[in-house]
Amino acid sequence: MTLCQLFLQPDAAYSCISELGELGIVQFRDLNPNVNSFQRKYVNEVRRCEEMERKLRFLETEIKKDELPIYDPEDNPDAPKPREMIDLEATFEKLDHELKEINTNADALLRNFNELTELKHNLTMTQGFFDDAEMAFTPAHNRNQRDSDDDQVQLLYEYSMISHNKLGFITGVVPRERMVAFERMLWRVCRGNVFLRQAEIPELIEDPVSGEKLHKTVFVVFFQGEQLKNRVQKICEGFRANIYPCPENPHERRELAMGVMTRLEDLTVVLSQTQDHRQRVLAATSRNLRTWQIKVKKIKAIYHTMNMFNNDVARKCLIAECWAPVSELDRIQLALRKGSEASGGGTVSSVLNRMVTREQPPTHHKLNKFTQGFQNLVDAYGVATYREINPMPFVLITFPFLFAVMFGDAGHGILVTIFALWMVLKERSLKDKWRNQEVWTIFFGGRYIILLMGIFSIYTGIIYNDVFSKSLNIFGSSWRVRFGDDTLAKHDSVMLEPTPYNYTRSGDYRQMFSGTPYPIGLDPVWQLADNKITYTNSVKMKFAIIIGITQMGFGLFLSLWNHLHFNHRHAIYLEFLPQIIFLACIFFYLIILIFYKWTSFDGSKATDAPSLLIHLINMILFSYKTDPPSAAVFYTGQKQFQTFLILLAVLCVPWMLLGKPIYRIVMNKRRANRGVVLDADVRDTDTEDMLDDEHSHQQHHQHEVEMSEVWVEQGIHTIEYFLGCISHTASYLRLWALSLAHAQLSEVLWHMILHLGLSMNGYGGAIASFFVFMPWSSLTVFILLLMEGLSAFLHALRLHWVEFQSKFYKGEGYPFVPFSFRLLLDEAPVEA
Amino acid sequence: MKDDLLFNLDHGYAEGLCRGFKSGILKAADYHNLVQCETLEDLRLHLQSTDYGNFLANEASPLTVNVIDDRLREKTVQEFQHLRNVSYEPLSTFLDYITYAYMIDNIILLITGTLHQRAIGDLLPRCHPLGSFEQLGAITVADTPAQLYTAVLVDTPLAPYFIDCISEHDLDELNVEIIRSTLYKAYLEDFYNFCKKLGGITAEVMCEILAFEADRRAFMITINSFDTGLTQDERAKLYPTCGHLHPDGLQELRRTDNYDAVRDVASRYPQYKILFEGSGTNSGDKTIEDKFFEHEVKLNMNAFLRQFHFGIFYAYLKLKEQENRNIIWIAECIAQKHRARIDNYIPIF
Repeated sequence: MTLCQLFLQPDAAYSCISELGELGIVQFRDLNPNVNSFQRKYVNEVRRCEEMERKLRFLETEIKKDELPIYDPEDNPDAPKPREMIDLEATFEKLDHELKEINTNADALLRNFNELTELKHNLTMTQGFFDDAEMAFTPAHNRNQRDSDDDQVQLLYEYSMISHNKLGFITGVVPRERMVAFERMLWRVCRGNVFLRQAEIPELIEDPVSGEKLHKTVFVVFFQGEQLKNRVQKICEGFRANIYPCPENPHERRELAMGVMTRLEDLTVVLSQTQDHRQRVLAATSRNLRTWQIKVKKIKAIYHTMNMFNNDVARKCLIAECWAPVSELDRIQLALRKGSEASGGGTVSSVLNRMVTREQPPTHHKLNKFTQGFQNLVDAYGVATYREINPMPFVLITFPFLFAVMFGDAGHGILVTIFALWMVLKERSLKDKWRNQEVWTIFFGGRYIILLMGIFSIYTGIIYNDVFSKSLNIFGSSWRVRFGDDTLAKHDSVMLEPTPYNYTRSGDYRQMFSGTPYPIGLDPVWQLADNKITYTNSVKMKFAIIIGITQMGFGLFLSLWNHLHFNHRHAIYLEFLPQIIFLACIFFYLIILIFYKWTSFDGSKATDAPSLLIHLINMILFSYKTDPPSAAVFYTGQKQFQTFLILLAVLCVPWMLLGKPIYRIVMNKRRANRGVVLDADVRDTDTEDMLDDEHSHQQHHQHEVEMSEVWVEQGIHTIEYFLGCISHTASYLRLWALSLAHAQLSEVLWHMILHLGLSMNGYGGAIASFFVFMPWSSLTVFILLLMEGLSAFLHALRLHWVEFQSKFYKGEGYPFVPFSFRLLLDEAPVEA
Repeated sequence: MKDDLLFNLDHGYAEGLCRGFKSGILKAADYHNLVQCETLEDLRLHLQSTDYGNFLANEASPLTVNVIDDRLREKTVQEFQHLRNVSYEPLSTFLDYITYAYMIDNIILLITGTLHQRAIGDLLPRCHPLGSFEQLGAITVADTPAQLYTAVLVDTPLAPYFIDCISEHDLDELNVEIIRSTLYKAYLEDFYNFCKKLGGITAEVMCEILAFEADRRAFMITINSFDTGLTQDERAKLYPTCGHLHPDGLQELRRTDNYDAVRDVASRYPQYKILFEGSGTNSGDKTIEDKFFEHEVKLNMNAFLRQFHFGIFYAYLKLKEQENRNIIWIAECIAQKHRARIDNYIPIF
């Protein structure tokens, strides 16, 4: 990674940046952080892009409204030239304008159409209403059939006939939900002096104003006198009721209705034509929409980047600063040349200039889709400091392995593997599916992690000989039960002895253990043993300790690597050495004891085998008892050797605590001496050196202030490490604990559920198995695979972040974010 | 104590939302940038980088102050309505109380509009959406306050406030103002009592804010009523009685007849003394109204310093309104190229 300066011709800058954007290997730095976003040089261009984006969004919503498909482009369009931008703008402007015009026309037509529809309904309803009234009035009609409403109607009608004082009426349409309030208001304002009839329009009607589909109600209000009419009209206005004229004469009404019908028909034709036109325009647009969107996005990104550049007026060029990987410099040069050529002004090509800087460069890892997921796990803790060892390649294997130690069940492992394999193999087609589903994207992003976790789980499952909590007897157990029937009948349980055993006291020794262990993993005979858990606990605990201490030791060696790379000689002697010695003295020794116990104590000496836990405690307390045989020393010189180890380990504490601060003090003194000499020399050189000198003075000053901090920091660091070694070792026991929990849980599930069905005889058993399989399988997936898997995942993650990486990983860097069109387009997918 | 324990059970989410919204209020640095804008386009560009996001992005290019105003108001209303939708008793009643003030404004706006022969269709869109209710459009039916009451307001929550105004005979300009003040007085007192009844921190915070609101109205009514033919007794009837001025200060305000006398009354109350001293009528000075606004902003800001109470919802809405006023002020100054007074906005943070 190196800091580069680019000198770009203003004409060529655009195409150069576009080329670099396609490459996506350069991270630009903002050179005008103090300038407001709207005071930058290319702000007008950015604004034009935003305007274009706005138009495109408008077009897209219009296309969506008509439910037309939008075609995704196959290829990746290049960023258009600045000249093309004007063309694009013109195209969009034209389309935008055209569409808006169509829309306004259509809106006007539609409003007209809706109004007419309302009028039509209004007329038919009122027609029915007036018919009712007349029917009611005709004496021929059977009076018994009328309800009270009709009575009123009739009264009204009679009244108007008799008094010759024509009642006025207003008809209109109002949204149904406002009807009640409207009615109440009418009643209040007119003090009950109006008569209201209403009828619901059976279909949904688009409101002419807002364009929403609404339930509406037709009403007729009868009243007498001008004043009331005014009021009613005002109320109608207030409730946004649409008032329609309705002739009083039935004949005229019919004529009007006819007219409305014909006008409606005409309108339908016109409307469908407008709609067709609109469809054509939109269909043409939808073909290019995505391409345009990408193009505009690219232009905008380029100008955004160019806004970050320094504008050198005197030399007529733009100066950019960027981080770029050293290995890619050639490609960058090539891109620059291509860009300059493309712009045509090839007189002065762009210049790339490597700069020396003290700033910490961003961290860039070369990744592929396989390693990406694991890198994310590491980066979630902290991005590696520049040039620090990246734990990812190690995590790649240890993470799934530690997971599998806790998730050891071959059956579950197979399920996980199948799921992961499906995601991996169908990668392409699944990539864009369910993009917005957060949980899914998490699973999909970690598909390779899950795959490895599954495979490793199968492996550890075979080692534990656990398949859905049952053991497989593939190679045949190494144990034979050679008891006679009478012995078996007498006892609930019998003990299998690994050594030849005289069970009848007749001097007839029987061999129960074949002598060769089961080829791989746990012997299936343990499935039947009462003390299976005691046995597996002991084994798994020891495994956990061995794995944990090995991993921590490995982490320490990685820190050695770091020290060597950064040339921190003192850190090797003052940090790495005491740390590794401490670890070796106590914990590596423990591992050696474990192996020693495994190899040199067999069944015959089982009762005298040393208890390692007691031994470790005694070792630290310097107490050597002989009382229980398991606590007695078991090799000569054990006492002396262990005392030596403890003393060595204790010595490491002050070594690490004092070493680094003392080294600092010495170095500071030396530097101060040198500084004084320099000071005397440089008294009368030019000002720049003076400035430098001042600078170094400042730094020097800082060092002195920091001394107390160095003490505190080193103190914390020391305590953290030495206590951490103990607590971290204990922490690795979670490998055993979770594995135990998982095994027990799956066994419980088997016994409590599936066992019910399997233990029944006859046809009933088949049916019962069928029914219990469903709860068993779903519980297996949800509890054992998802919940347990998640918990094992988190514990494995913790073991890596806390126990492993704390030994060497600082994670104080910041990520390399290149300017890349591909990233840009992936990141903000064109809003779906 | 018990209220504090259980507060989050019902109102924790709403409070969290509200505090989140509050952190989106523009800071001094934002104002500093806004003031530097040359055109409204710049303003839009800068607002994009704040919490407003691209609320103006879909507007066609020649941007006007009106459009900005509409969008700002829309956004505020949207946020408030979201809060109202997720709220739970008694918070929802509290939030409803806040909207009553807007209802009063809307009613007055419509009545004055009709007095000036404006069509109801033009007036309705200008009403504040928080204060709209079903019968709002039918207000034009009423010619007298009594009619207004029986026809329109009887179903609305404002009905109890209106009882005092029924006696007025017709709706002319002065009467409308009196109605507004009477309504406001009744509303403030009711709201004040409601908050008192809620008790706890809500009462402490809200009563402080509402008392100030009441006093401000009393001052403004007095100042605006000089030379209008409003008698002292009539004026006194309009003073809300839930403020710090009640009862002595109000009595004295009743007797004042010029600005200096008002200032004398205020000087007996330390918090108002400062405000009146800091204000002036010269061109460079801040008006007393601005001073009141500043004090209000301060009170509202203080509301956020306490936890487990409803005051923050009120305070948030008021602060947001102040912010909208500020943005509009700045936008107007930019649009009219009148940059000399652009700094006269009221800073919030």
